[in-house]
Parts: sequence; C-alpha cells; structure tokens
Amino acid sequence: MGNISSVLNIARDAILANTTALNVTGSNIANANTAGYSMLVPEFGSIGVFNDEGSQEQAGVQITSIERMNNKYLDAQEIQQEPNGAYSQAQLNVLNDVQSIFNESSTGGINSLLSQFWSAWSQVSSNPTDLTERDNLVSVSQSLASTFNQSANQLIQIQSDTNNQISDTVTQLNGYLAQMADLNNQITSAQAAGNNASSLEDQRYTLLQNISQIVQVNYNEDANGAMDLYISNGKPLVDGSTVYNLGVQANPNNSNYYDVVFQNAPTVAINADLQGGTLAGLLDVRDTDVGGYLNNLNNLAAAIVSSVNTQSSSGYDLNGNVGGNFFAPAGVGSPVAAGGNGYTGTVTAGGAYTGNTSTTYEVQIMSGGTLGTATYEVSSDDGQTWGSAQQMPTSGNITLGDGITLNFAAGTFSAGDVFTVNASSAAADMQVDPGIVADVTKIAASATVNQDGDNAGSIADIQNQNNSSLGGITIDNYYDSLETKIGQDVSNAQNSNDQQTAILSQIDNQRQAVSGVSLDEQLMNLIQYETAYNAAGRLTEVANTMFGTIINLGIDTAITTT
Amino acid sequence: MITRVTNQMMTDLLNNSMSTADTQYYNSIEEMSSGKQVNSPSDNPIGFGQILSYRSGLAQISNYQQNISSNNSWLSATESALTQVNDILTSVQTTAVSQASATATASTRQDAADSLQQQIEQIMSLANSQYENSYIFSGTSTDTAPFSATARSTAEYTVTPASENTYSGTVDTSGGTYTGTVNNTYVIKIVQGGTLGTATYEVSSDGGKTWGSAQTMPASGSIAIGDGINLTFPAGTFAANDVFAVNAYTTGYYNGNGEELSNEVNNGVTSNYSITGEEAFTNQQGNGTVDIFTVLNNLQTALQNNDTAGISSSLDSLTSAGDQITRYIAQCGTRENSLTAAGNVLTDMNTQLTTDDSNIEDADVATLETNIQQQQLALEAIYKTASDVEGMSILNFLQ
Repeated sequence: MGNISSVLNIARDAILANTTALNVTGSNIANANTAGYSMLVPEFGSIGVFNDEGSQEQAGVQITSIERMNNKYLDAQEIQQEPNGAYSQAQLNVLNDVQSIFNESSTGGINSLLSQFWSAWSQVSSNPTDLTERDNLVSVSQSLASTFNQSANQLIQIQSDTNNQISDTVTQLNGYLAQMADLNNQITSAQAAGNNASSLEDQRYTLLQNISQIVQVNYNEDANGAMDLYISNGKPLVDGSTVYNLGVQANPNNSNYYDVVFQNAPTVAINADLQGGTLAGLLDVRDTDVGGYLNNLNNLAAAIVSSVNTQSSSGYDLNGNVGGNFFAPAGVGSPVAAGGNGYTGTVTAGGAYTGNTSTTYEVQIMSGGTLGTATYEVSSDDGQTWGSAQQMPTSGNITLGDGITLNFAAGTFSAGDVFTVNASSAAADMQVDPGIVADVTKIAASATVNQDGDNAGSIADIQNQNNSSLGGITIDNYYDSLETKIGQDVSNAQNSNDQQTAILSQIDNQRQAVSGVSLDEQLMNLIQYETAYNAAGRLTEVANTMFGTIINLGIDTAITTT
Repeated sequence: MITRVTNQMMTDLLNNSMSTADTQYYNSIEEMSSGKQVNSPSDNPIGFGQILSYRSGLAQISNYQQNISSNNSWLSATESALTQVNDILTSVQTTAVSQASATATASTRQDAADSLQQQIEQIMSLANSQYENSYIFSGTSTDTAPFSATARSTAEYTVTPASENTYSGTVDTSGGTYTGTVNNTYVIKIVQGGTLGTATYEVSSDGGKTWGSAQTMPASGSIAIGDGINLTFPAGTFAANDVFAVNAYTTGYYNGNGEELSNEVNNGVTSNYSITGEEAFTNQQGNGTVDIFTVLNNLQTALQNNDTAGISSSLDSLTSAGDQITRYIAQCGTRENSLTAAGNVLTDMNTQLTTDDSNIEDADVATLETNIQQQQLALEAIYKTASDVEGMSILNFLQ
C-alpha cells in the first residue's frame, strides 16, 4: 500500500541530498586553486526499505558520507621525496654564492694574481738592484695577500650567514611542530565527535610537507587520528599533542657554529641524524663544502707563505743580510709572558691552529702555585670574556681551543700572571711582512752577497715545483683544482636539484590526479545535481497534488492545497 | 600514465615548460654576449680548471719573453762596447807596428804614447759601461765599477758587515795577504750567537751559497778562512745570522768578479747574459789570456822609454788581446742566436696554448645563433599553447 507522506519524505530527502551535493561541488569549485586541497565527493546511498505496518516502503536517498579523495601511498611517496629537493636547493643557493667569490673573469682573481706574483719575482731576478721592480713585487704581493684575505673572509661570512639561517630554520620548524600538535588535537576531537575533518587533514598534510622540506620525517597515524612524527634515528618530534622542539648549540670545536640538538638534550648533536631536508643541506654545505674550501684556501696560502719564506731565508738582501720572511708567518705565535709575571719558566705553544681568522688567546693564573696546584682561566677574545677556572695539570700541558696547546715547564705561578698567544690563519691573515713593505731592500733577491738575483729566480721557480704539503702538485695546479671542485659541486647540486624537482613534480602529478579539482568535471556534476534537484522538486509538486485529491475526497467545497 | 587531469596540473606543466625554455634561452644569450661558452666554473668544471692552467702558462711565457728581450738589450750593449774596444785595439796595434819599426824615433814614440793614453782612457771608459745603472762587465757586483785607472800592486781584501749585524766591532784585516788567482767573495756567518770563545760561525768561499762546517770563534778572535785571508775580530757580542762579506782582490785593475748574470728564458732553461770583465779583459782565467790594461800600459811605458824591444814584445800580446775581445763579441752573437731560438719556442708554445684555451673557452658563434633561433621558436610555441589552453573550459559551451 502506498503512503503519500512517504513519497513526500522521499522527495524531501532527495532535495536535501542534492542540496548537500551541490554544496560540496560548490566547495570544490571555490577551492580549485587552494594548495593542498583534496577534492570532496558526496557519496549517495540508497536508504533502502523500511517496514510500514507490514508493507515494504522505499525510503529514498541520503548522503552517506563525503569522501576526501586521497591516496595515502602517494602522500607517503611525496613526503619521502620532499626533503631531497629541499636539500639540494639549500646547497645550490649557498654554492652559487661561493662560485661568485672565485670569479676569474677579471685580472683580480687569484689565478691571475699568482701569475703576476711569479712574474714579479722573475723581474726582480733580472733586475736585482732596481728598486722599482722590488716596489712592484711588493705591490703585487699585497694584492695577492688581500685577495686571499677577502676570499677567506667572504667564505667565513657565507658560513656565518648559513649558520644564522640554520638557527632561523630551527625556529621555523618549531613553529610548524606546534601547529602540528594543535591540528592533531583538533582532528582527534573531530573524529571522536564523528565530524568531518577533511579540511583540517588538508591543512595537516600541507604542514607535513613544510616540515619534511626542513627535515626528513617518518610519520604514522595513530588510532585516534593524530599524526606522530619521528626523525631518522627514531626520536619523536611530535607525539600526539606533545612536541619535542629542536634547538641550536654553539660548538667550540667548530668555530662556535651551531649544532642542531633537541632542546631537552642540548649536549647531544643530532646533525648526522637529520637525513635530507633544508637543515641537513645547510649543515653539510656549511661544514663540508664551504668548510672544505676554506681549508683548501688556507692550505694554499700556507704553502705559498712557507715555500717563499723558506727560499727567502737562503738568500741575501741588498745590504748583505741573510733573508728573512717575505710574508708574515701564519699559525700559532710564541707565547708572550707579561712583564710582571712571577712565573719564570718556559712556555711553548704547539698544535695546528684550526680557526678561520686571527685570535688572541690569554691565559691568566687565578690562584698561584706549582704545576698541579695553580688554577687558570682561558680567554679566546683577547681578555674580554673568560672560561671557568681549571687546575693546571702536573704535565703542564693545557689546550686553549681551536687546536692550540700550551706547555708550561716546571715553575711557580703567581696569581695574576698573564700569558698571551696570537694565532693567525693562513688565508684570512696573509700579509707581506711589514718590514719588507717598509724597506724593499730587504727582499732577499740574491743567492750570494753580491747582486746576482738568483734567489729571486729560485722563488719564481717555485711556480713549477711540486709541493708536498699540497699533495705533490704545484701551487697553481692546486688552485685550479679548487676552482674545478667548486664548479663540480655547483654543477652536481644543480643537476641533483633538477632531478629532484622532476621526480617531485611527477609524484605531485599523480597526487593531483587523485585529489585535484577539475573544473570541467565539477561543472558537469553541477548540472547533474541540479537536474536531480529539479526532478525531486517535481516529485514534491506531484505528491502535493495527490494529497490535495485525497483531502478533497467526499467534501463539497474543494480545499486547495497550494 | 595520467588517468585524470586537473586544472592545476595543466598550469604547472605549462609553467615548468616555460621556465625550462626560458633558462635555456637565457644561457644561450649569456654565451652570445660574453663570447664565451664557459662563464663560470659550473659551466664546465674540468674545462675551467684547464682554462686557468692555460692562462698561467701564457702569463709565464710572456714573462720569459720579457726576460729574452731584456737579455737581448744587455747583450746588445755589451757587444757594442766590445766592438768599440776592438776597433781601438786595432788602431793601437797599427800604431805599435809602426813604432816598432826602424823608422820610429823617440819623438814619434812619445807622441804615440800620448795618443795611447787617450785610447787607454777610452777603453777604460768602455769597460766601465753601464746598462740601466748596472755595470755590465762587473760580474754580479753590478754596483761597483769593474776597472780602476791604476792597478793594485798587492792583493788585498776588505770586510763589509751586513747592515743589520748585532756585532759592531771593526774587523782587522791586516793579518794576511790574499793568495787566490781570481777575485772572490767569502762570507762569514754567525751560526750561534755569543762572545769570542763561545759564538760559532761557518765560512763560505762562493759568496754565501755553500758552507763549511761550523767552528767556534776562538777567544783571540783571529781566524784564517783560507787563501791567505786572516781576520781578527775585536771583543763584542755576536748574534745568529750576523753576516760578514769578505771581498778579496788579486793584483791588477779588476774590481768585479767572475760570476755571469743569468735568468730563465723557459722552464729550467738558464740564459747567461753578461760577459764579465774578468774573462774579457784580464788573464785571471788563464788559458793564454792577457790582461789588456797591463799590456796597454806596458806598451805606453815602452813608447815613453823609447824601448824598441819592449814595443816589439807587445805586438803578440796585442794580437792576443784583439782575439780575446773578438771571441767575446762572437760569444754575444752566439747568445743572441740562442735567445732567438728560445723566443721561437716560446712563440710556438704561445700559439698552442692560445688555441687550446680558445677551443674550450670561446663560444661557437654559428652554432649559438642556430640554437637561439630554435629556442625562440620553442618559446613562442609554448606561449601560444599556454594562451590557448587557458581559454579551454566547458563553460564556453554551457548555456
């Protein structure tokens, strides 16, 4: 037996369902350009039949669910891929800056200046008594030294900028982690209440992308719908609504550049555990790449200074004196005891200075005594700030930092004794010896006390000699190899970046194919739902007319129902 | 295989294509405008390293060429001086022959002696020639005039302390007589500072290049360093690296030494470019050489004394003198030829390196032009496609 009210119900449900469907379609159309938006699909489900006093009645349609079109496997692939692209992008940006430092297109580059340097020595060798040639040699040498200074300082500046960027990136990451925890809360609440959380899930996915660009993460959704994030060594970043923030810690063995740490474990550096992503890219480029170039530059400068100075000491200057240093020697200087010191023993410095620029260390005796009883403090900034007091060991050997060691012979210290040690790095502090600059007759051009010029010729000849401290190649070749290395690193980063971008683009396309909005498709759906809506409206009108007929059965005056 | 295409995918695809095409176009423009296909190390890392190596090589070649040029100038000045000396010697020889004959008288001989004085002074002046403020016949003592007008009758030696010596005493040189056959420079260098009796020193007999073993300065301060040279150091304090140059001279007119000046005109190729007064004008190197000024002064004395035998005996010596000078004129010619050959080698190397460098560094303009045309076409195709695609929508067809 039919039931007209059930027909009206059917019509009403159909109208509601199609209205909802139109609503969803409208949302899709509006969000066609929203990044990270997953297309929503209204699922129509037949309500089926119900029993009405013994007879079966059809019950129409309802929206059973609004599906968020999403493929978790593709999501995981994209999250896996994101850090690779970000890593090489971070490297590429920094390496491009480095490449512009070593610009050899003009005559001011190191390659050109080295050629001018060797030539200048050769000209002095041909004209050993000519002061003009000596002046020219000093002038070219100063240009060479100052170019080394600049290049080294620019590399250090890049390291410093990268260092700051690392700190900023960590702060940015912590901000994202906080947002992630917050979204986790909202989503778990929504799920518990049975509400639709698809736009929250879209937001969370975008956040996940941002986080994985900074550092590679493994993730999984727990039973409540919260997403937990872990870095590659398994330690969590986000666990439900708990956040484990990262922080930065200055490393005194790395020129006080930052290590990345967990804020709750600041003494443990996790640099090696950050696989992929911007942070790892910045750390690697700062320490391995730029740090490596700086080492190479220092090796090169040290080799030039050392080989020229050594040969210079085999010759004689214009006044018959044995040749001295042409370049001011780099490295660790002899410790200087202050004039009023009570300690009279011998202090010797040792070790290889690993710092990047010149530093003045001071050691101050806090409480007097002998080896094993006296205490001292160390300053690495010329006495402005001091470390904590330590006991002078019985061996007399102490470390100051940056690779410098001091040895105190047996003796008695008085409180207030001060010892100063200057350390300079080869490239950043390269300079022509001030004595030579002041008096060019001191250039040791001759091999005998007469003016033969042969020692200057020997120095010019260093250009052609294999240098053992540079691995058995010439000084010129070492610099050329450094340029090649920089070029290769940039080229590799560029290629890697291109490749990663292409891979990411492909994965993203596949995701888009599943989750993206096609306006044509939505517009077709629009027509479809509108037609169904109109049909449902028609059904209502017909049911209404039928109601009218039944109501008016057996009544003289018709009751209209419209 | 894409099964469903969204608007975002279309736009991304067009953007990426345009970006790639723009980048390629930009790179071609960069090469075209700089004329170089390697503009930065990353363009061709290994090639860039090679380019730098070629540049160093070319700069070195240029330096060697400069050395060749300055050596040639020096040799040219030398040759000119020696040629003029030779001309004067020929004239002297003619005079000597005629004054040795029976037709000469005491009066003609006296006149000849007077002319000879002028000629000796001219030769002396030529022997003391300078090139750019350096004496060309002094060996390595280029700041000292090689010849004095009057000869030393006894060998002598002097001590010159270096300007930065800590020791300030005046060394006594009177204790010996130099017995060497050529002028030489000895060097005494303090190895370990101290006073008489404690400081140690070593001696060099080749101007300071090689050294004997270290010895202790005796308490007396008197040391003998060889070849008759005895020195006495008064009491004082020595510091390490205090240097004392001992210049020792034989008898005769010459004040320079026998070290030829040299420099390099290619990697490992040394060019000696100076002729010393010792080899050209004196007999100190033996082998039948004569001391030209001695010969001339003897002739002058013989002329003044009307000494026929003396005049005759000078004739052979004059011939030897002429041969000696001529030999060194020829030596200059030989050296100039060597320099020319060295210069040719350098020119060839220059050409080779320049070509090699150009092959790597310079852009191939013809190919570039074609590439740029193609890239422009490709860009235009993308632009057109983009504009067409953006207008495609079902909305165009719905009522």
